Amino acid sequence: MVETFKDFGFAVKTAIKGMGITLKTFFEKPVTLQYPEERPEVDSRYRGIHFLEQEKCISCKVCALACPVDCIHIESELPEKGLYDWDRFDIDYGLCMFCELCCFPCPTNCIHMGKEFDFSRFSRMDLVRNMLTWEGVSPAQKKEVDGIAAEKAAKKAAAAEAKKKAAQDEPKDTQDEKKDGE
Amino acid sequence: MLNPAMPLPDDPLDRDILIGAGDISTDEMYINMGPQHPSTHGVLRVLLRTDGEIVTEAHPHIGYLHRCAEKIGECLDYIKFQPYTDRMDYLAAMNNNLGYAMTVEKLAGLEIPERAQLLRVIIVELNRIASHLIAFGTYGLDAGALTPFFHAWREREEMLTLFEKICGARLTYNYVCIGGVVNDMPEGWEDMVLDFLDRFEKRWKEYNDLLTYNRIFIRRTADIGVITREDCVAYALTGPMMRGSGIDWDLRRDRPYMMYDRFEYDIPIGEGKMGTVGDCWDRYWVRMVEMKESGKIVRQAFDMLKGAEGTHKAKVPKVFKPKKGECYVGIENPRGELGFYIVSDGSKNAYRMRVRGPSFCNLSILEKLLPGAMIADAVMIIGSTDIVLGEVDR
Amino acid sequence: MFEQSIILSAIRDAIDWVLGLVGQDISILPLPVQVVLCGLIAAGGLMGAIAFAVLIYVWMERRIAGRMQARRGPNRVGPYGLLQTVADTFKLLRKEDIIPTGANRILFAFAPMLVLAGVVAAFAAIPISWDADKGEPIMIADIDLGIFLITAIVATEVIGVIMAGWASNNKWSLYGAMREAAQVVSYEIPLGLSLLVPVLIVGDLSLGAATEDQLGGNWLIWRNPFMWAVFFIFYVAGLANCKRAPFDLPEAESELVAGFHTEYSGLRFSFFFMEEYASMTLISAIGAIYFFGAGDLFGLQGSSSLIMFGVLLFKILVSIFVMMWIRWTLPRLRIDQVMTLGYKVLTPIAFFLLLGVTVWDLYDLNDKLWELFSRS
Ligand code: SF4
Ligand code: SF4
Repeated sequence: MVETFKDFGFAVKTAIKGMGITLKTFFEKPVTLQYPEERPEVDSRYRGIHFLEQEKCISCKVCALACPVDCIHIESELPEKGLYDWDRFDIDYGLCMFCELCCFPCPTNCIHMGKEFDFSRFSRMDLVRNMLTWEGVSPAQKKEVDGIAAEKAAKKAAAAEAKKKAAQDEPKDTQDEKKDGE
Repeated sequence: MLNPAMPLPDDPLDRDILIGAGDISTDEMYINMGPQHPSTHGVLRVLLRTDGEIVTEAHPHIGYLHRCAEKIGECLDYIKFQPYTDRMDYLAAMNNNLGYAMTVEKLAGLEIPERAQLLRVIIVELNRIASHLIAFGTYGLDAGALTPFFHAWREREEMLTLFEKICGARLTYNYVCIGGVVNDMPEGWEDMVLDFLDRFEKRWKEYNDLLTYNRIFIRRTADIGVITREDCVAYALTGPMMRGSGIDWDLRRDRPYMMYDRFEYDIPIGEGKMGTVGDCWDRYWVRMVEMKESGKIVRQAFDMLKGAEGTHKAKVPKVFKPKKGECYVGIENPRGELGFYIVSDGSKNAYRMRVRGPSFCNLSILEKLLPGAMIADAVMIIGSTDIVLGEVDR
Repeated sequence: MFEQSIILSAIRDAIDWVLGLVGQDISILPLPVQVVLCGLIAAGGLMGAIAFAVLIYVWMERRIAGRMQARRGPNRVGPYGLLQTVADTFKLLRKEDIIPTGANRILFAFAPMLVLAGVVAAFAAIPISWDADKGEPIMIADIDLGIFLITAIVATEVIGVIMAGWASNNKWSLYGAMREAAQVVSYEIPLGLSLLVPVLIVGDLSLGAATEDQLGGNWLIWRNPFMWAVFFIFYVAGLANCKRAPFDLPEAESELVAGFHTEYSGLRFSFFFMEEYASMTLISAIGAIYFFGAGDLFGLQGSSSLIMFGVLLFKILVSIFVMMWIRWTLPRLRIDQVMTLGYKVLTPIAFFLLLGVTVWDLYDLNDKLWELFSRS
């Protein structure tokens, strides 16, 4: 009986002590961040949505290989050394776990983790994000590539012409040969 | 309802459930605690046979969160598996990273520079604090006090910001990597951590006033769920679960790894201050004191870091292929001994990866502890095991 | 009938006035119809007032909880989030009304109403203010058995809760109901005993008489040294009676999911919610009236009944704040501890206090002590 009463007294005492702490917190400033209005300051090391410095990327696909979940998809053509014809550089954020493993092995250090973090979408397909700033050939290199392409085309045309000519010439030769053979 | 073509299960418990024998109409009833229950800390399901408020039988059912982590570890390269370890014990991801990294390093015979080791110690101990904060908060929730949880989160949020500053992520850090740590600490980080620790110590006292020494809380936890020393050993309990029962065993001191033998800190053990040795309060108290001790270690580590040699990371070959062999490393996770056992066949990925999860082993004693307790006590006992289901189910 | 109640006669006058617009008189209605009509209007008004108060309480609770947990609480809908509860009410109204399979549909549907009805009905006997001109309390029904009626009618709530728990066909609900039965019934003893003390001093069971008795700063809490302890017992038992933390075992969310209302959704759920806050208000109102002088502010309030109502409201709000404060601080007790506390601590103390107060009053110790002091 005495024990129970003692306990009760103890309980009341400690309860009042605890209530003092909650009251203290009551008058302290809340720590909540009013999210959509106040954006958190994320650090420069923050691992958010990637960004790609496309002009530096050499399309070596090392990042795609290093990714544990295989969520980087790269497709590009290499028409000429140093020039890239980009088809696709997608990262599927439905899979990505923001581990940064893709960023370390990049030989030209051109894929980075960015600061963007609120990337919610209504469907999974929308979570696949295109990392490319431009598709196809870089605008800066467009001329060059066009030039090369034109040159190539010209070469090709010339070659074709030559071939045609050769082809036109050829039957005669064969005929000649045939004739010879006969 | 019952399909007559289906044979009845042999287990009387299952049979009773199937035919509905143990229902409301009888004295005892079966009741499912979880997987959708507020205080099973995730998706644990405990099947209880109750006699009124008293539990007479308990069967934990696990596996709702199974993600084949071990198998993934066998299929992926060693380096690629690192982020998956984050997702096992997500409350103490740094510790999981460390356990895995240390195992692989031992397998490959890598030497880790001193600076990297100290950074690891700092980050791991901070993570221990963060993890125990959750244990403290959710234990309050189990007891019905909601405020400690939010107070604990207030401090944990600050810690997460510190983690974010050093590694860029707030929950799944992937910071400790094979060979060292990913980044060296940024400028000013040390001061921020020390400043936080100062404030934290004040808050720690507040927590005690708010919850630890609250008489109602003591009455809810003292003498409840007592684990004897023998049981501890028999069920292979580790961590605070074991130390709460008065067994003085901590891998950091007794099987020193990294540089833990150079620090000075106490290892709290349960003394039965409020009731019997090995009750819920003792386990809780061990966690509370560990938070404080971790703070001490962090301070010492920062002091040692000034004279530390080496960089934050050792040279690791790009194509990482440890030689043939097997090895096991156990480290002191906030929840107990976290062990990784890896068999290597000399290829790029492990031949066998096995994780000894502390939560998984600690959970096993529920079957023994719960019978005889009341439902409210059952909640407290489950809470005192401080399990993380992500690691139980892996 | 109408002589006893200022509110009812005011309603009758209002009907009279409305009928006067169409050239009629209240006397065209037979007396029973008059009574029922006025009673219905009063009940509707009471219900509306309680519903409105609950909106405010829920907002208060969230804001207070938020600030005590270093958060902000709702602050998006309306100024300071005041409209958040309104929005939530609409959400609750739109929710599907789920009745689990195997539930006893009739009891399941009836339980929330019974639970709420008991508590709301009790408010009829609560004086909300004091009419200085007539020298009468303003209340719906100034019944001589006031407090007796209240404690009796509030007890029906237990039946409702047990019905809810049993009819839900859910084992957790059943646990909640059983706990409620055990807890509330046993806490009615210390509650009743602690209420007996002010009744003893006032010498009347009506709360109106208690209001009158305490006018001019003559609060019951000052009457003798036991009163603070009596009030403490009353408050603790009251907390247990309205299932507030640390006695929220019937709905203990970390143990019983949501206790007896686990299976309820939508409007029916909101009835339970309202009941909780209504009974908190009831306990606070009784506490304010029986211990802290009802609407009296040491006579400073003058003769305005509106100010007295405001003062009473303020006292109730303070008491409710304390209840919330306790809830957001303390852990929950276990059911056996709750019973131990009720039977082994509160009941004996209440008995002892009752005895003490009786002796004190019997020998007029107040006056004797006063004499002693003034002589020295
Ligand atoms: S590793 Fe770097 S350079 Fe190679 S494809 Fe990826 S982003 Fe481009
Ligand atoms: S962050 Fe990790 S998961 Fe995401 S793309 Fe890079 S390597 Fe893959």
